[in-house]
Order: sequence, then structure tokens, then C-alpha cells
Amino acid sequence: MTEVPQERTRVLIVDDEVEFASTLAERLQLRGYDVTAVYCVEDAFNAIRQSPPDVLLLDLIMPGTSGMEALMTVKSAAPEIFVVLLTGHLDIEKELEGMGLENCNFIMKPVDISKLITMIDGATREMPSEKRLEAS
Amino acid sequence: MKIKNKLLVGFGFYTLLAVAMGCFMYLELHTIISRLAYVKSADDIVNNALETRRYEKNLLLFNDKGAINELDHYITLLRKNIGVLKKEIVKKIGAQEFAKLSGQIDEYEQSIHAIARNPADKGLIEKVRIIAREIQATIDAVAGGERASIDYLLAHLNRSMILLLFTIAAFIIAGAIINMKLAASISNPIRDLEEATKRVGGGDLSWRSELTGRDEIASLGMSFNRMQERLSAARQSLELAITELHEKQEQLLESEKLASLGRIAAGVAHEINNPLAIVNEKAGLMQDIIGISDEFQNKDKFMSLIQGIVASVDRCRAITHHLLGYARPTESVMETMSLNDVLADVKGFLHKELEDKRIAMETNFPVDLPQIRSDKGQLEQVVLNIVRNAIEAVSEGGHINISSGMKDSKTALISIADDGPGIPQDKVKHLFEPFFTTKGKKGTGLGLFVSYGIVKKLGGMITAESKSGRGTTFTIQIPVDFRQ
Repeated sequence: MTEVPQERTRVLIVDDEVEFASTLAERLQLRGYDVTAVYCVEDAFNAIRQSPPDVLLLDLIMPGTSGMEALMTVKSAAPEIFVVLLTGHLDIEKELEGMGLENCNFIMKPVDISKLITMIDGATREMPSEKRLEAS
Repeated sequence: MKIKNKLLVGFGFYTLLAVAMGCFMYLELHTIISRLAYVKSADDIVNNALETRRYEKNLLLFNDKGAINELDHYITLLRKNIGVLKKEIVKKIGAQEFAKLSGQIDEYEQSIHAIARNPADKGLIEKVRIIAREIQATIDAVAGGERASIDYLLAHLNRSMILLLFTIAAFIIAGAIINMKLAASISNPIRDLEEATKRVGGGDLSWRSELTGRDEIASLGMSFNRMQERLSAARQSLELAITELHEKQEQLLESEKLASLGRIAAGVAHEINNPLAIVNEKAGLMQDIIGISDEFQNKDKFMSLIQGIVASVDRCRAITHHLLGYARPTESVMETMSLNDVLADVKGFLHKELEDKRIAMETNFPVDLPQIRSDKGQLEQVVLNIVRNAIEAVSEGGHINISSGMKDSKTALISIADDGPGIPQDKVKHLFEPFFTTKGKKGTGLGLFVSYGIVKKLGGMITAESKSGRGTTFTIQIPVDFRQ
């Protein structure tokens, strides 16, 4: 696997907690990802329509449309997007298994950044971004 | 004996006594009357004899011709009266003498008639006198004892009167005794029964009527005992049911308390989790930025401060994740499994920890334990949790015992006992509450709380028993086939 800087992995973060989403976005940007953060499901749909990301970080609990509904919508429209659900609960794994969704994972809040990076890179088969951070 | 029979016996006794007394009196009177009749007849004979001698004198001394008719009359009477008393006379003097007397009277009569025809016959007159004296003597001997007879009668009457008095006294005494016995034999058992009803009515259900026998009251007493036994049994089962109800109520209260605590804790955890995530990201970003910055003053100091924040966030994360896991109603993945395998797996997981502390783990897994249907992963988590606690509790070289079994056909049991220092009685009841810990700073106080939630969710129950210095035993009850 070779690093292709101009084809950076594009990540879309959807979370109603602005502080969380923006900070996480900044941290990922520092690690070389092309990150956009939006703070509601509608904005997320718009962003996906304009330019679909490689990875979608989706908060499960948000006002209005729930993360699960958003997940179903995104999965039916663009199944190629790797979705990581952000959740407070341990046992979402079983629900996901039950739904039979592919190209999908979850991570618990507060987020362990190295775990998230491993997950994203594993899905997009890229070089671990940690190394890029160290190199820069 | 039945009361009716008792009364009949009592009445029968009285009747018999009365009849006996009547018979006795009848016999006494009969004897007296016979005696009086004898005395009267004897008196008549004596009188007849005297009259006969008077008219004999008139005939012999004064040659009164009319006397012969009177003599005939009295001789006839004499003969008749002697006939009446023949039996008594024979008894007194014998049949021979009696025949002689009859012969003398006949001879006397003939001689009198001969004298009446020939008054001058001196020899005949002398003969009559001799015969008359002999007859007189015999009659006096036979019937002359009226005086003695009257004495005898008086004595007899006296004796009868005394006997009568005795009989009456006996009648009264025996009657009184029999009446008292009869009354007591009827009223004592009734009193006994009354006492029994009073005691049982007063709540003393252990009291029994001790009536025996075959009368109506004894039978009533036995019926009473049977009723009382049933009452006793009913009360016992009622008390048992109430005790069980109390236990269930306490368990319900306890589980409701824990459930609401869980909801509150999870609510707080959820609210805390988001700001915690922000703190985590901010600290992480600071770390990132400082990490890529050039050297500046206190860079290492800042890095270590941020490390501290991140470590604290990690601790908080552990807590909030546990709490959120407790409250969330998740789908359990049910599968059929061997409980013994689950326990053996747990023992395998903890192999190293057990070895490090040189803890002897004894297992007691009956081979015939039926398979159960439950959530294997969650069950494992619970057992692992409790055994880990036990490992932490026991001292080096301590013992832990894990055993499986059946409580009944529908409930399987897991028992985990250690010989650690135990938990004081007043703290045992708080064991399953969130944030309760006996490990000081080492524990979050959520392990047992979460385990409790899981077991509840699987339709089971978890209880702990402990005493200071005697170790702790956890018992998990799991339904053999739990349907959600």
C-alpha cells in the first residue's frame, strides 16, 4: 500500500455537539484526513449529495432524525460509504449484526482516537495516518 | 360409653335398687303376716281348748245337759284350728305326736258323749280328765307361746326397720355417688372441650383436647382435634405464604430500588458522557498540537498535565459505559449451553490471576446438570465479574469454590464462595447498589450493579451472603429456559 497525499481520505462528521464534532475534525485533519463537520442530519445529507465522503462518523443520538434512521438512509443511497457510529453504549454491535449491515462499525464516546484511526484506515486500506502525523 | 347408655345404666341401677327394696319389704311383711296368722290361730286353739274345758266342767261337775252342744261346737273349732296350723304343729312336735293329738281329741269327744249318756260312770270321767289334761298340755306346748311369738315379731319388726333405714341410707349414698359420677362423666368432657375451644379461640393452636372413649363428647373432642389440626396446618401454610410474600416484596423493593438507581445513574451518565467526549477531544487536540510543536517552555509539563486529563477521562469513560450498559434494554442472544462449560471457561480465563495469587479453585460441576438456554456471553460476564471480585478478596493461598446445581426443575444455580475476609452484615445489603465498593479506590462500584442488572434481564436472581471473617458466597439463580 502506498500513500497518495492528493487522495486523502474524506471524512464527514455528523454530531449535534458542535464542540465535539469540530474538535474531532481538527484532530483528524492534523492526521492528514480531509474532514468536514456538520451538526445536523439534514446538513449531512446535503454534504453527502454534494460530494460523498469515504467515511461517515455518525452520532447515534441527535435531535430530530435519529442516527439509526440516518444510517439506513445513507446505507440505502450510498452503501460504499464506510459508516462509523458514535455511541455511548457498549452493545450496539449486536444490533448492527442483527441488521446485517456491511461496511459499518461503531465506536464509543469518548472516542479513543487511535482506535478510530485504525478503524478508518482498515476500512479505506490506507497507510495509518498516525505515521503521517509523526512525519509532518 | 355413650351418654344415653350412661343415663340408662344410672336409671337401671335405681330401678333395681327400688325393686330389691320392694321385694325385701314384701318378704318381711309376708313373714310378719304369716307369723301373726299363726299367733292368731294358736290363740284360737288355746281359747277353744279353754272353752272346751269350761263346758267339760259344766257337764261333769254340774251335769249341765246343754253343755254337750257347746262342747261339740268347740271341739269342732279346735279340730279345725289345729288343721289350720297342722304344718307348724307337725314341725314342732313331729307327725307321730300330731296323730296322737288327733286321736286323743277323737277319744275325748267319744268319751264326752259316753259320759253325757251315762253321767255316773266314774271311770270314764277320770279317763276324760286324763285325756283332757294331756290334750291341754300338748296344746300349751304347741300354741302356748304367743308371748314368745310377739317378742319374736317385735324383734323381727325392729330388724326390718333397721334394715329399711340402712337400705334408705345406702340408697341415698349410692344414689349420690352414682349421680355425681354420672354428672361428672358428662360434664367433665364438656368442660374439657370448652377449655379447648377457649384456648384455640384465644390463638393457642397447639392445644389438643385429650378426650378419649366412645361417647358423643369424646367423638366431638376428636372432631375438634381434627378441625384444630387442619386449622393449624392452614395457619402454618398461611404464615409460610406470608413469609414468602414478605421475602418477595423485599426482593421486589430491592430490585425496584436498584432499577431506579440504575435509571438515574444511566441518565446522569448519558448527560455526562457528551461533555466528557468534548473534554476528551479538546485534551486530545491539545496533545496533538503540542506533540507536533517545536520545543517551548514547559512543553513536557503540559504534555504530562494533558496525559492526566486523558487518564481521568478514561476512568470516567469506564464508569459511564458501565452505567449506560446497565440501563439499556438490549436483546439477549439466547443459546442452549452447558452451564458447566461456561464456568469451566471462566476458570480458564482466570487461570493466570489464580496462579499469581496461588489461589486454589475447587469446582463442583455435577455431570448430569441439564443444559440451559440463556445468553452465554452475558452469563460469562457476570460469573467472571464475581470470580474476579473473589480473587481480589481472598488472601494469597486462599480458596474459591465454584459449584453448579439445580434449585428445582426450572431453575439452575451457580454458587461462588470464597474464604476471604467477608463483608460486614450491614454492608451486604448494599452490595448491588451502584458505586458501592469494598475495594476502596481500586473499584468503580459498578461490577456487581451491572451483574445484578444482567441476571435480572436473564430472568434470574443474584444474592450474596457474607459474614465478617467467614468469606462471601454469591448465588446466581438462572431459569433453565428463559423466554423474554
